[in-house]
Amino acid sequence: MKHKEIITQLMSEVSKYMLESEPSRLVISLHQETDGLHLVVLDNILRDAEELQRVEKYLNPVYRPELAEYYGSMAGTDVLGTSRLGLIGWQIKHAEVSRTEEGTKIDMFIGSEKFEPNTKKGRAD
Amino acid sequence: MCDTAKYQQEVPVPNKNDTPLMVLLLFISLGLMLAGFFSTSPAHLFEGFINIQKHHGRLLSDFTVIGGTGAALVNAGLMGLFSLLVIKLAKVSISGPTFAAVFTIIGFSLFGKTILNAVPIVFGVFISAKIARKELKSYLLIALFGTALGPLVSFIMAHSGLPGPFALVAGSLAGIVTGILLPPIAMAMLRLHEGFSLYNVGFACGFLGLFLASILVAFQLDISTAIIWNTVPSPLLMLLVPVISLMLILIGISMDTIKNNVNNFLKIQKLPGRLPTNFMDNASTAASLINAGVLGLLGSLYLWLIGADFNGPTLGGLFTVIGFATFGKHLRNTWPVVAGVITATLLFGKSLTAPVPVLALLFGTTLAPIGGEMGIIPGFIAGFLHLLLVDRTASWHGGLDLYNNGFSGGLVATLMLALSEWIKSNRETK
Repeated sequence: MKHKEIITQLMSEVSKYMLESEPSRLVISLHQETDGLHLVVLDNILRDAEELQRVEKYLNPVYRPELAEYYGSMAGTDVLGTSRLGLIGWQIKHAEVSRTEEGTKIDMFIGSEKFEPNTKKGRAD
Repeated sequence: MCDTAKYQQEVPVPNKNDTPLMVLLLFISLGLMLAGFFSTSPAHLFEGFINIQKHHGRLLSDFTVIGGTGAALVNAGLMGLFSLLVIKLAKVSISGPTFAAVFTIIGFSLFGKTILNAVPIVFGVFISAKIARKELKSYLLIALFGTALGPLVSFIMAHSGLPGPFALVAGSLAGIVTGILLPPIAMAMLRLHEGFSLYNVGFACGFLGLFLASILVAFQLDISTAIIWNTVPSPLLMLLVPVISLMLILIGISMDTIKNNVNNFLKIQKLPGRLPTNFMDNASTAASLINAGVLGLLGSLYLWLIGADFNGPTLGGLFTVIGFATFGKHLRNTWPVVAGVITATLLFGKSLTAPVPVLALLFGTTLAPIGGEMGIIPGFIAGFLHLLLVDRTASWHGGLDLYNNGFSGGLVATLMLALSEWIKSNRETK
Protein backbone atom coordinates (compact mmCIF):
# COMPACT_ATOMS: atom_id res chain seq x y z
CA MET A 1 0.00 0.00 0.00
CA LYS A 2 1.33 3.37 -0.93
CA HIS A 3 1.94 6.21 1.45
CA LYS A 4 -0.74 8.54 0.12
CA GLU A 5 -3.32 5.77 0.36
CA ILE A 6 -2.52 5.29 4.04
CA ILE A 7 -2.91 9.02 4.65
CA THR A 8 -6.26 9.00 2.83
CA GLN A 9 -7.43 6.02 4.88
CA LEU A 10 -6.35 7.66 8.14
CA MET A 11 -8.08 10.93 7.30
CA SER A 12 -11.22 9.12 6.22
CA GLU A 13 -11.54 6.94 9.33
CA VAL A 14 -10.69 9.66 11.84
CA SER A 15 -12.99 12.13 10.07
CA LYS A 16 -15.76 9.55 10.25
CA TYR A 17 -15.27 9.37 14.00
CA MET A 18 -15.26 13.17 14.40
CA LEU A 19 -18.30 13.64 12.15
CA GLU A 20 -20.36 11.17 14.18
CA SER A 21 -20.68 13.96 16.80
CA GLU A 22 -21.84 16.41 14.09
CA PRO A 23 -19.34 19.23 14.62
CA SER A 24 -19.88 22.55 12.84
CA ARG A 25 -16.12 22.86 12.26
CA LEU A 26 -13.55 20.23 11.29
CA VAL A 27 -9.94 21.00 10.41
CA ILE A 28 -7.44 18.47 9.04
CA SER A 29 -3.81 19.54 8.90
CA LEU A 30 -0.87 17.57 7.51
CA HIS A 31 2.77 18.42 8.32
CA GLN A 32 5.73 16.75 6.68
CA GLU A 33 8.55 16.16 9.19
CA THR A 34 11.90 14.39 8.88
CA ASP A 35 11.27 10.66 8.30
CA GLY A 36 7.58 11.04 8.96
CA LEU A 37 4.32 12.90 9.01
CA HIS A 38 2.22 14.66 11.61
CA LEU A 39 -1.53 14.59 10.99
CA VAL A 40 -3.71 16.85 13.15
CA VAL A 41 -7.49 16.71 13.21
CA LEU A 42 -9.48 19.32 15.16
CA ASP A 43 -13.19 19.81 15.73
CA ASN A 44 -15.37 21.96 17.97
CA ILE A 45 -16.97 19.20 20.06
CA LEU A 46 -16.04 19.09 23.76
CA ARG A 47 -15.70 15.44 24.75
CA ASP A 48 -15.32 14.23 28.33
CA ALA A 49 -12.03 12.87 29.69
CA GLU A 50 -13.27 9.28 29.60
CA GLU A 51 -14.09 9.55 25.89
CA LEU A 52 -10.72 11.12 25.11
CA GLN A 53 -8.96 8.31 26.98
CA ARG A 54 -10.99 5.70 25.14
CA VAL A 55 -10.11 7.20 21.75
CA GLU A 56 -6.43 7.44 22.65
CA LYS A 57 -6.48 3.77 23.68
CA TYR A 58 -8.06 2.77 20.37
CA LEU A 59 -5.45 4.74 18.45
CA ASN A 60 -2.58 3.14 20.36
CA PRO A 61 -3.59 -0.55 20.29
CA VAL A 62 -1.54 -3.62 21.10
CA TYR A 63 0.38 -4.17 17.88
CA ARG A 64 -0.64 -7.33 16.09
CA PRO A 65 1.30 -7.73 12.84
CA GLU A 66 -0.96 -10.58 11.71
CA LEU A 67 -3.96 -8.25 11.87
CA ALA A 68 -2.42 -4.91 10.88
CA GLU A 69 -1.73 -5.48 7.19
CA TYR A 70 -4.66 -7.76 6.44
CA TYR A 71 -7.53 -6.16 8.34
CA GLY A 72 -5.97 -2.68 8.35
CA SER A 73 -6.86 -2.53 4.66
CA MET A 74 -10.47 -1.94 5.74
CA ALA A 75 -9.60 1.38 7.42
CA GLY A 76 -11.36 4.33 5.87
CA THR A 77 -13.43 2.18 3.51
CA ASP A 78 -16.31 1.11 5.77
CA VAL A 79 -19.62 2.68 5.03
CA LEU A 80 -21.71 0.96 7.67
CA GLY A 81 -21.30 1.04 11.44
CA THR A 82 -19.41 3.26 13.80
CA SER A 83 -15.85 4.30 13.07
CA ARG A 84 -13.18 1.77 13.91
CA LEU A 85 -10.21 3.69 15.18
CA GLY A 86 -8.36 0.48 16.06
CA LEU A 87 -7.87 -0.18 12.35
CA ILE A 88 -5.89 3.02 11.92
CA GLY A 89 -4.12 2.57 15.24
CA TRP A 90 -2.08 -0.21 13.60
CA GLN A 91 -1.05 2.04 10.71
CA ILE A 92 0.48 4.82 12.79
CA LYS A 93 3.42 5.21 15.09
CA HIS A 94 1.69 7.08 17.88
CA ALA A 95 -1.42 9.15 18.61
CA GLU A 96 -2.40 11.72 21.21
CA VAL A 97 -5.89 12.94 21.99
CA SER A 98 -6.43 16.19 23.87
CA ARG A 99 -9.04 18.79 24.65
CA THR A 100 -8.70 22.30 23.24
CA GLU A 101 -10.59 25.40 24.35
CA GLU A 102 -13.18 24.84 21.65
CA GLY A 103 -13.19 21.09 21.14
CA THR A 104 -11.02 18.02 20.52
CA LYS A 105 -7.61 17.60 18.91
CA ILE A 106 -6.18 14.33 17.62
CA ASP A 107 -2.48 14.20 16.78
CA MET A 108 -1.31 11.23 14.74
CA PHE A 109 2.30 10.51 13.91
CA ILE A 110 3.15 8.34 10.96
CA GLY A 111 6.72 7.47 10.24
CA SER A 112 9.58 5.06 9.84
CA GLU A 113 11.62 3.67 12.73
CA LYS A 114 13.90 6.71 12.47
CA PHE A 115 10.98 9.06 13.02
CA GLU A 116 11.07 10.72 16.44
CA PRO A 117 7.92 12.80 16.67
CA ASN A 118 7.95 15.84 18.87
CA THR A 119 5.08 14.77 21.14
CA LYS A 120 3.91 16.06 24.48
CA LYS A 121 4.69 12.70 26.03
CA GLY A 122 8.18 12.50 24.56
CA ARG A 123 9.26 9.78 22.16
CA ALA A 124 6.44 7.81 20.71
CA ASP A 125 7.84 4.35 21.27
CA MET B 1 6.22 7.25 -2.20
CA CYS B 2 6.83 4.73 0.54
CA ASP B 3 5.37 1.35 1.29
CA THR B 4 3.34 0.48 4.35
CA ALA B 5 6.06 -1.55 6.00
CA LYS B 6 8.27 1.51 6.30
CA TYR B 7 5.53 3.55 7.86
CA GLN B 8 3.96 0.99 10.16
CA GLN B 9 4.96 0.89 13.77
CA GLU B 10 7.02 -2.06 14.92
CA VAL B 11 6.24 -2.04 18.59
CA PRO B 12 6.67 -5.33 20.43
CA VAL B 13 3.54 -6.71 22.06
CA PRO B 14 3.72 -5.44 25.66
CA ASN B 15 3.13 -7.77 28.62
CA LYS B 16 1.56 -10.40 26.43
CA ASN B 17 3.15 -13.69 27.31
CA ASP B 18 1.64 -16.26 24.99
CA THR B 19 3.54 -19.23 26.42
CA PRO B 20 0.52 -20.64 28.35
CA LEU B 21 -1.60 -20.50 25.18
CA MET B 22 1.16 -22.10 23.12
CA VAL B 23 1.47 -24.88 25.73
CA LEU B 24 -2.31 -25.34 25.76
CA LEU B 25 -2.49 -25.70 21.97
CA LEU B 26 0.53 -28.03 21.96
CA PHE B 27 -1.15 -30.11 24.66
CA ILE B 28 -4.39 -30.34 22.67
CA SER B 29 -2.56 -31.26 19.43
CA LEU B 30 -0.41 -33.90 21.11
CA GLY B 31 -3.42 -35.13 23.08
CA LEU B 32 -5.36 -35.71 19.86
CA MET B 33 -2.43 -37.64 18.41
CA LEU B 34 -2.11 -39.78 21.54
CA ALA B 35 -5.86 -40.44 21.57
CA GLY B 36 -5.52 -41.52 17.94
CA PHE B 37 -2.56 -43.81 18.67
CA PHE B 38 -4.31 -45.54 21.55
CA SER B 39 -7.67 -45.95 19.82
CA THR B 40 -6.53 -48.37 17.14
CA SER B 41 -3.79 -50.86 16.24
CA PRO B 42 -0.56 -49.46 14.72
CA ALA B 43 -1.08 -51.30 11.42
CA HIS B 44 -4.65 -50.06 11.10
CA LEU B 45 -3.54 -46.57 12.06
CA PHE B 46 -0.76 -46.49 9.48
CA GLU B 47 -3.00 -47.77 6.72
CA GLY B 48 -5.72 -45.28 7.63
CA PHE B 49 -3.28 -42.37 7.77
CA ILE B 50 -1.95 -43.22 4.29
CA ASN B 51 -5.53 -43.47 2.99
CA ILE B 52 -6.23 -39.98 4.33
CA GLN B 53 -3.12 -38.52 2.68
CA LYS B 54 -4.06 -40.11 -0.65
CA HIS B 55 -7.70 -39.01 -0.55
CA HIS B 56 -8.83 -35.91 -2.51
CA GLY B 57 -10.45 -34.48 0.62
CA ARG B 58 -13.09 -32.50 -1.26
CA LEU B 59 -16.37 -31.79 0.51
CA LEU B 60 -17.63 -33.81 2.17
CA SER B 61 -14.97 -36.40 3.04
CA ASP B 62 -15.17 -37.58 6.62
CA PHE B 63 -11.67 -38.77 7.51
CA THR B 64 -13.09 -40.83 10.40
CA VAL B 65 -14.59 -43.04 7.67
CA ILE B 66 -11.77 -42.83 5.12
CA GLY B 67 -8.95 -43.56 7.57
CA GLY B 68 -10.73 -44.48 10.77
CA THR B 69 -11.07 -42.49 13.98
CA GLY B 70 -7.49 -43.06 15.12
CA ALA B 71 -5.87 -41.95 11.87
CA ALA B 72 -8.18 -38.92 11.61
CA LEU B 73 -7.21 -37.80 15.12
CA VAL B 74 -3.51 -38.26 14.37
CA ASN B 75 -3.94 -36.20 11.19
CA ALA B 76 -5.75 -33.46 13.16
CA GLY B 77 -3.10 -33.38 15.89
CA LEU B 78 -0.31 -33.31 13.33
CA MET B 79 -1.95 -30.38 11.55
CA GLY B 80 -2.29 -28.58 14.89
CA LEU B 81 1.46 -28.96 15.40
CA PHE B 82 2.11 -27.80 11.82
CA SER B 83 0.05 -24.64 12.31
CA LEU B 84 1.86 -23.88 15.59
CA LEU B 85 5.17 -24.30 13.77
CA VAL B 86 4.09 -21.84 11.06
CA ILE B 87 2.99 -19.32 13.73
CA LYS B 88 6.33 -19.73 15.51
CA LEU B 89 8.29 -19.31 12.25
CA ALA B 90 6.30 -16.15 11.50
CA LYS B 91 7.26 -14.85 14.97
CA VAL B 92 3.68 -14.06 15.91
CA SER B 93 2.33 -14.47 19.43
CA ILE B 94 -0.76 -16.55 20.09
CA SER B 95 -3.91 -14.50 20.64
CA GLY B 96 -7.54 -14.61 19.45
CA PRO B 97 -6.96 -14.85 15.68
CA THR B 98 -4.12 -17.39 15.84
CA PHE B 99 -6.02 -19.42 18.46
CA ALA B 100 -8.99 -19.45 16.05
CA ALA B 101 -6.74 -20.50 13.17
CA VAL B 102 -5.20 -23.44 15.05
CA PHE B 103 -8.57 -24.75 16.24
CA THR B 104 -10.07 -24.35 12.77
CA ILE B 105 -7.17 -26.22 11.14
CA ILE B 106 -7.43 -29.03 13.69
CA GLY B 107 -11.16 -29.28 13.04
CA PHE B 108 -10.87 -29.32 9.26
CA SER B 109 -8.11 -31.93 9.42
CA LEU B 110 -10.87 -34.33 10.40
CA PHE B 111 -12.41 -33.83 6.97
CA GLY B 112 -10.14 -32.46 4.26
CA LYS B 113 -6.83 -30.97 5.37
CA THR B 114 -3.58 -32.90 5.38
CA ILE B 115 0.08 -31.99 5.68
CA LEU B 116 0.51 -32.91 2.04
CA ASN B 117 -2.15 -30.49 0.79
CA ALA B 118 -1.49 -27.68 3.28
CA VAL B 119 2.27 -27.15 2.88
CA PRO B 120 2.21 -25.97 -0.79
CA ILE B 121 -0.47 -23.36 -0.02
CA VAL B 122 1.34 -21.99 3.02
CA PHE B 123 4.53 -21.86 0.94
CA GLY B 124 2.65 -20.02 -1.81
CA VAL B 125 1.44 -17.38 0.65
CA PHE B 126 5.02 -17.03 1.87
CA ILE B 127 6.12 -16.35 -1.74
CA SER B 128 3.26 -13.86 -2.08
CA ALA B 129 4.55 -12.04 1.00
CA LYS B 130 8.02 -11.91 -0.51
CA ILE B 131 6.62 -10.54 -3.80
CA ALA B 132 4.82 -7.80 -1.85
CA ARG B 133 7.99 -7.19 0.23
CA LYS B 134 6.23 -8.17 3.44
CA GLU B 135 7.09 -10.66 6.12
CA LEU B 136 5.06 -13.87 6.50
CA LYS B 137 3.53 -12.52 9.72
CA SER B 138 1.62 -9.91 7.70
CA TYR B 139 -0.13 -12.69 5.77
CA LEU B 140 -0.02 -15.36 8.48
CA LEU B 141 -3.80 -15.68 8.87
CA ILE B 142 -4.26 -15.94 5.11
CA ALA B 143 -1.60 -18.67 5.01
CA LEU B 144 -3.24 -20.67 7.80
CA PHE B 145 -6.87 -20.29 6.73
CA GLY B 146 -5.86 -20.56 3.05
CA THR B 147 -5.27 -24.28 3.58
CA ALA B 148 -9.04 -24.50 2.99
CA LEU B 149 -8.13 -25.04 -0.66
CA GLY B 150 -6.03 -28.08 0.25
CA PRO B 151 -8.37 -30.44 -1.64
CA LEU B 152 -7.26 -28.81 -4.89
CA VAL B 153 -3.72 -30.06 -4.23
CA SER B 154 -4.87 -33.54 -3.17
CA PHE B 155 -7.32 -33.81 -6.06
CA ILE B 156 -4.65 -33.04 -8.69
CA MET B 157 -2.21 -35.41 -6.98
CA ALA B 158 -4.74 -38.25 -6.85
CA HIS B 159 -7.15 -37.75 -9.74
CA SER B 160 -5.46 -35.70 -12.46
CA GLY B 161 -4.52 -38.83 -14.39
CA LEU B 162 -0.87 -37.80 -14.43
CA PRO B 163 1.85 -40.37 -13.55
CA GLY B 164 2.83 -40.41 -9.82
CA PRO B 165 5.77 -37.96 -9.62
CA PHE B 166 4.23 -35.59 -12.19
CA ALA B 167 0.96 -35.58 -10.27
CA LEU B 168 2.82 -34.72 -7.07
CA VAL B 169 4.62 -31.83 -8.77
CA ALA B 170 1.46 -30.58 -10.52
CA GLY B 171 -0.55 -30.69 -7.29
CA SER B 172 2.18 -28.90 -5.35
CA LEU B 173 2.52 -26.23 -8.04
CA ALA B 174 -1.24 -25.68 -8.07
CA GLY B 175 -1.13 -25.20 -4.30
CA ILE B 176 1.77 -22.77 -4.50
CA VAL B 177 0.08 -20.67 -7.22
CA THR B 178 -3.14 -20.69 -5.19
CA GLY B 179 -1.22 -19.47 -2.13
CA ILE B 180 0.36 -16.68 -4.16
CA LEU B 181 -3.05 -15.50 -5.36
CA LEU B 182 -4.83 -15.66 -2.01
CA PRO B 183 -3.61 -12.49 -0.18
CA PRO B 184 -4.83 -9.94 -2.74
CA ILE B 185 -8.13 -11.80 -3.17
CA ALA B 186 -8.69 -12.12 0.59
CA MET B 187 -8.10 -8.40 1.10
CA ALA B 188 -10.47 -7.50 -1.73
CA MET B 189 -13.17 -9.86 -0.40
CA LEU B 190 -12.84 -8.29 3.04
CA ARG B 191 -13.92 -4.94 1.67
CA LEU B 192 -17.02 -6.51 0.10
CA HIS B 193 -18.58 -7.49 3.44
CA GLU B 194 -16.56 -5.10 5.65
CA GLY B 195 -15.81 -7.73 8.26
CA PHE B 196 -19.39 -8.96 8.76
CA SER B 197 -18.43 -12.57 7.96
CA LEU B 198 -15.73 -14.08 10.15
CA TYR B 199 -14.46 -16.68 7.65
CA ASN B 200 -13.21 -14.17 5.12
CA VAL B 201 -10.52 -16.45 3.69
CA GLY B 202 -13.26 -19.04 3.17
CA PHE B 203 -15.09 -16.45 1.09
CA ALA B 204 -11.91 -15.73 -0.89
CA CYS B 205 -11.21 -19.46 -1.35
CA GLY B 206 -14.75 -20.02 -2.61
CA PHE B 207 -14.38 -17.17 -5.08
CA LEU B 208 -11.04 -18.50 -6.32
CA GLY B 209 -12.50 -22.02 -6.21
CA LEU B 210 -15.05 -21.05 -8.88
CA PHE B 211 -12.21 -20.41 -11.32
CA LEU B 212 -10.19 -23.43 -10.21
CA ALA B 213 -13.18 -25.74 -10.59
CA SER B 214 -13.81 -24.36 -14.08
CA ILE B 215 -10.20 -25.09 -15.04
CA LEU B 216 -10.48 -28.67 -13.76
CA VAL B 217 -13.71 -29.16 -15.70
CA ALA B 218 -12.00 -27.75 -18.81
CA PHE B 219 -9.47 -30.59 -18.40
CA GLN B 220 -12.49 -32.94 -18.35
CA LEU B 221 -11.98 -33.96 -14.73
CA ASP B 222 -15.01 -35.05 -12.73
CA ILE B 223 -15.56 -32.71 -9.78
CA SER B 224 -19.05 -33.79 -8.80
CA THR B 225 -19.49 -33.77 -5.03
CA ALA B 226 -20.43 -36.65 -2.76
CA ILE B 227 -21.00 -37.02 0.96
CA ILE B 228 -18.92 -39.45 3.02
CA TRP B 229 -20.41 -39.16 6.53
CA ASN B 230 -19.77 -41.30 9.60
CA THR B 231 -23.14 -42.37 11.00
CA VAL B 232 -21.70 -44.60 13.73
CA PRO B 233 -19.06 -42.43 15.40
CA SER B 234 -17.09 -43.80 18.33
CA PRO B 235 -17.71 -42.63 21.94
CA LEU B 236 -14.26 -41.04 21.82
CA LEU B 237 -15.48 -38.57 19.19
CA MET B 238 -18.57 -37.77 21.25
CA LEU B 239 -16.52 -36.95 24.34
CA LEU B 240 -13.71 -35.04 22.66
CA VAL B 241 -15.22 -31.56 22.37
CA PRO B 242 -17.03 -31.55 25.76
CA VAL B 243 -13.77 -32.56 27.48
CA ILE B 244 -11.74 -29.87 25.67
CA SER B 245 -14.47 -27.29 26.36
CA LEU B 246 -14.51 -28.09 30.08
CA MET B 247 -10.73 -27.88 30.13
CA LEU B 248 -10.82 -24.42 28.52
CA ILE B 249 -13.39 -23.22 31.06
CA LEU B 250 -11.35 -24.53 34.01
CA ILE B 251 -8.14 -22.99 32.65
CA GLY B 252 -9.94 -19.67 32.13
CA ILE B 253 -11.36 -19.76 35.67
CA SER B 254 -7.92 -20.49 37.13
CA MET B 255 -6.25 -17.63 35.25
CA ASP B 256 -8.12 -14.72 36.84
CA THR B 257 -10.38 -13.74 39.74
CA ILE B 258 -14.08 -14.61 39.59
CA LYS B 259 -15.02 -10.92 39.52
CA ASN B 260 -12.66 -10.14 36.63
CA ASN B 261 -13.79 -13.21 34.70
CA VAL B 262 -17.46 -12.32 35.12
CA ASN B 263 -16.86 -8.70 34.10
CA ASN B 264 -14.73 -9.64 31.09
CA PHE B 265 -17.10 -12.42 30.02
CA LEU B 266 -19.97 -9.90 30.06
CA LYS B 267 -17.76 -7.40 28.22
CA ILE B 268 -17.20 -9.97 25.45
CA GLN B 269 -20.97 -10.48 25.11
CA LYS B 270 -21.37 -6.75 24.41
CA LEU B 271 -18.82 -6.65 21.57
CA PRO B 272 -20.28 -6.76 18.03
CA GLY B 273 -17.61 -9.27 16.99
CA ARG B 274 -17.00 -7.72 13.60
CA LEU B 275 -13.60 -8.50 12.08
CA PRO B 276 -11.08 -8.01 13.59
CA THR B 277 -12.28 -8.25 17.21
CA ASN B 278 -9.64 -9.98 19.29
CA PHE B 279 -11.40 -10.87 22.54
CA MET B 280 -8.06 -11.57 24.20
CA ASP B 281 -7.02 -7.94 23.69
CA ASN B 282 -10.48 -6.38 24.10
CA ALA B 283 -11.40 -8.29 27.28
CA SER B 284 -9.00 -10.94 28.65
CA THR B 285 -7.44 -14.26 27.71
CA ALA B 286 -9.15 -15.98 30.65
CA ALA B 287 -12.65 -14.78 29.73
CA SER B 288 -12.01 -15.62 26.06
CA LEU B 289 -11.17 -19.22 26.98
CA ILE B 290 -14.31 -19.42 29.13
CA ASN B 291 -16.36 -18.05 26.22
CA ALA B 292 -14.77 -20.67 23.94
CA GLY B 293 -15.55 -23.46 26.38
CA VAL B 294 -19.15 -22.31 26.87
CA LEU B 295 -19.82 -22.20 23.12
CA GLY B 296 -18.13 -25.59 22.67
CA LEU B 297 -20.32 -27.14 25.37
CA LEU B 298 -23.51 -25.57 24.03
CA GLY B 299 -22.70 -26.71 20.49
CA SER B 300 -22.09 -30.26 21.73
CA LEU B 301 -25.30 -30.16 23.78
CA TYR B 302 -27.26 -29.09 20.70
CA LEU B 303 -25.83 -31.96 18.60
CA TRP B 304 -26.61 -34.40 21.41
CA LEU B 305 -30.17 -33.10 21.86
CA ILE B 306 -31.10 -33.38 18.18
CA GLY B 307 -29.30 -36.72 17.85
CA ALA B 308 -26.72 -35.58 15.30
CA ASP B 309 -23.57 -37.57 14.57
CA PHE B 310 -20.33 -36.59 16.29
CA ASN B 311 -18.10 -37.28 13.30
CA GLY B 312 -15.27 -35.54 11.43
CA PRO B 313 -17.29 -32.69 9.86
CA THR B 314 -19.44 -31.92 12.93
CA LEU B 315 -16.39 -32.01 15.20
CA GLY B 316 -14.72 -29.70 12.71
CA GLY B 317 -17.65 -27.33 13.14
CA LEU B 318 -17.41 -27.47 16.91
CA PHE B 319 -13.64 -26.89 16.87
CA THR B 320 -14.14 -23.88 14.59
CA VAL B 321 -16.82 -22.44 16.87
CA ILE B 322 -14.49 -22.86 19.86
CA GLY B 323 -11.61 -21.18 18.03
CA PHE B 324 -13.63 -18.22 16.82
CA ALA B 325 -15.07 -17.73 20.30
CA THR B 326 -11.84 -15.82 20.96
CA PHE B 327 -12.14 -13.84 17.71
CA GLY B 328 -15.71 -12.73 17.08
CA LYS B 329 -18.28 -15.24 18.34
CA HIS B 330 -20.20 -15.22 21.58
CA LEU B 331 -23.63 -16.19 22.88
CA ARG B 332 -25.32 -12.87 22.17
CA ASN B 333 -24.25 -12.49 18.54
CA THR B 334 -24.56 -16.15 17.49
CA TRP B 335 -28.05 -17.07 18.71
CA PRO B 336 -29.99 -14.97 16.14
CA VAL B 337 -28.05 -16.65 13.30
CA VAL B 338 -28.56 -20.10 14.83
CA ALA B 339 -32.30 -19.37 15.23
CA GLY B 340 -32.46 -18.35 11.55
CA VAL B 341 -30.78 -21.58 10.41
CA ILE B 342 -33.08 -23.75 12.57
CA THR B 343 -36.21 -21.91 11.37
CA ALA B 344 -35.24 -22.27 7.71
CA THR B 345 -34.41 -25.96 8.23
CA LEU B 346 -37.80 -26.71 9.79
CA LEU B 347 -39.75 -24.45 7.42
CA PHE B 348 -38.41 -26.18 4.33
CA GLY B 349 -38.92 -29.66 5.75
CA LYS B 350 -35.26 -30.57 6.12
CA SER B 351 -33.92 -32.73 8.90
CA LEU B 352 -32.00 -30.93 11.65
CA THR B 353 -29.55 -33.86 11.76
CA ALA B 354 -28.85 -33.96 8.00
CA PRO B 355 -25.30 -32.96 7.01
CA VAL B 356 -26.11 -29.59 5.40
CA PRO B 357 -28.36 -28.16 8.17
CA VAL B 358 -26.18 -29.36 11.02
CA LEU B 359 -23.02 -27.93 9.45
CA ALA B 360 -24.84 -24.74 8.41
CA LEU B 361 -25.83 -24.24 12.03
CA LEU B 362 -22.31 -24.66 13.38
CA PHE B 363 -20.37 -22.89 10.62
CA GLY B 364 -23.16 -20.38 9.91
CA THR B 365 -22.03 -18.56 13.03
CA THR B 366 -19.51 -16.95 10.68
CA LEU B 367 -22.36 -14.39 10.37
CA ALA B 368 -22.33 -13.63 14.11
CA PRO B 369 -21.15 -10.01 13.55
CA ILE B 370 -24.44 -9.31 11.74
CA GLY B 371 -26.34 -10.35 14.86
CA GLY B 372 -23.88 -8.42 17.02
CA GLU B 373 -23.82 -5.12 15.14
CA MET B 374 -26.94 -4.92 12.93
CA GLY B 375 -29.24 -6.60 15.47
CA ILE B 376 -31.33 -9.68 16.16
CA ILE B 377 -33.61 -9.53 13.11
CA PRO B 378 -30.82 -9.03 10.53
CA GLY B 379 -28.88 -11.82 12.28
CA PHE B 380 -31.91 -14.10 12.04
CA ILE B 381 -32.44 -13.26 8.35
CA ALA B 382 -28.74 -13.87 7.66
CA GLY B 383 -28.93 -17.33 9.26
CA PHE B 384 -32.12 -18.11 7.33
CA LEU B 385 -30.58 -17.12 3.98
CA HIS B 386 -27.35 -18.91 4.80
CA LEU B 387 -29.04 -22.30 5.08
CA LEU B 388 -30.69 -21.87 1.69
CA LEU B 389 -27.52 -20.73 -0.05
CA VAL B 390 -24.96 -23.08 1.50
CA ASP B 391 -26.91 -26.06 0.17
CA ARG B 392 -25.94 -24.99 -3.35
CA THR B 393 -22.52 -23.36 -3.10
CA ALA B 394 -20.42 -26.52 -2.60
CA SER B 395 -21.28 -27.75 -6.09
CA TRP B 396 -20.25 -24.39 -7.59
CA HIS B 397 -16.60 -24.93 -6.62
CA GLY B 398 -16.74 -28.72 -6.73
CA GLY B 399 -16.14 -28.99 -2.98
CA LEU B 400 -12.62 -27.61 -3.41
CA ASP B 401 -13.14 -24.90 -0.75
CA LEU B 402 -13.45 -26.64 2.60
CA TYR B 403 -14.83 -23.42 4.09
CA ASN B 404 -17.96 -23.65 1.97
CA ASN B 405 -19.94 -22.02 4.77
CA GLY B 406 -17.41 -19.17 4.70
CA PHE B 407 -18.09 -18.76 0.99
CA SER B 408 -21.84 -18.76 1.48
CA GLY B 409 -21.51 -16.60 4.62
CA GLY B 410 -19.47 -14.02 2.71
CA LEU B 411 -22.15 -13.82 0.02
CA VAL B 412 -24.93 -13.46 2.61
CA ALA B 413 -22.96 -10.82 4.54
CA THR B 414 -22.33 -8.85 1.33
CA LEU B 415 -26.05 -8.91 0.54
CA MET B 416 -27.02 -7.87 4.08
CA LEU B 417 -24.43 -5.09 4.06
CA ALA B 418 -25.60 -3.74 0.72
CA LEU B 419 -29.20 -3.59 1.95
CA SER B 420 -28.25 -2.07 5.31
CA GLU B 421 -26.08 0.59 3.69
CA TRP B 422 -28.85 1.48 1.25
CA ILE B 423 -31.43 1.80 4.03
CA LYS B 424 -29.06 3.73 6.28
CA SER B 425 -27.85 6.16 3.63
CA ASN B 426 -31.39 6.93 2.43
CA ARG B 427 -32.66 7.50 5.95
CA GLU B 428 -29.77 9.82 6.75
CA THR B 429 -30.26 12.00 3.70
CA LYS B 430 -33.95 12.64 4.44
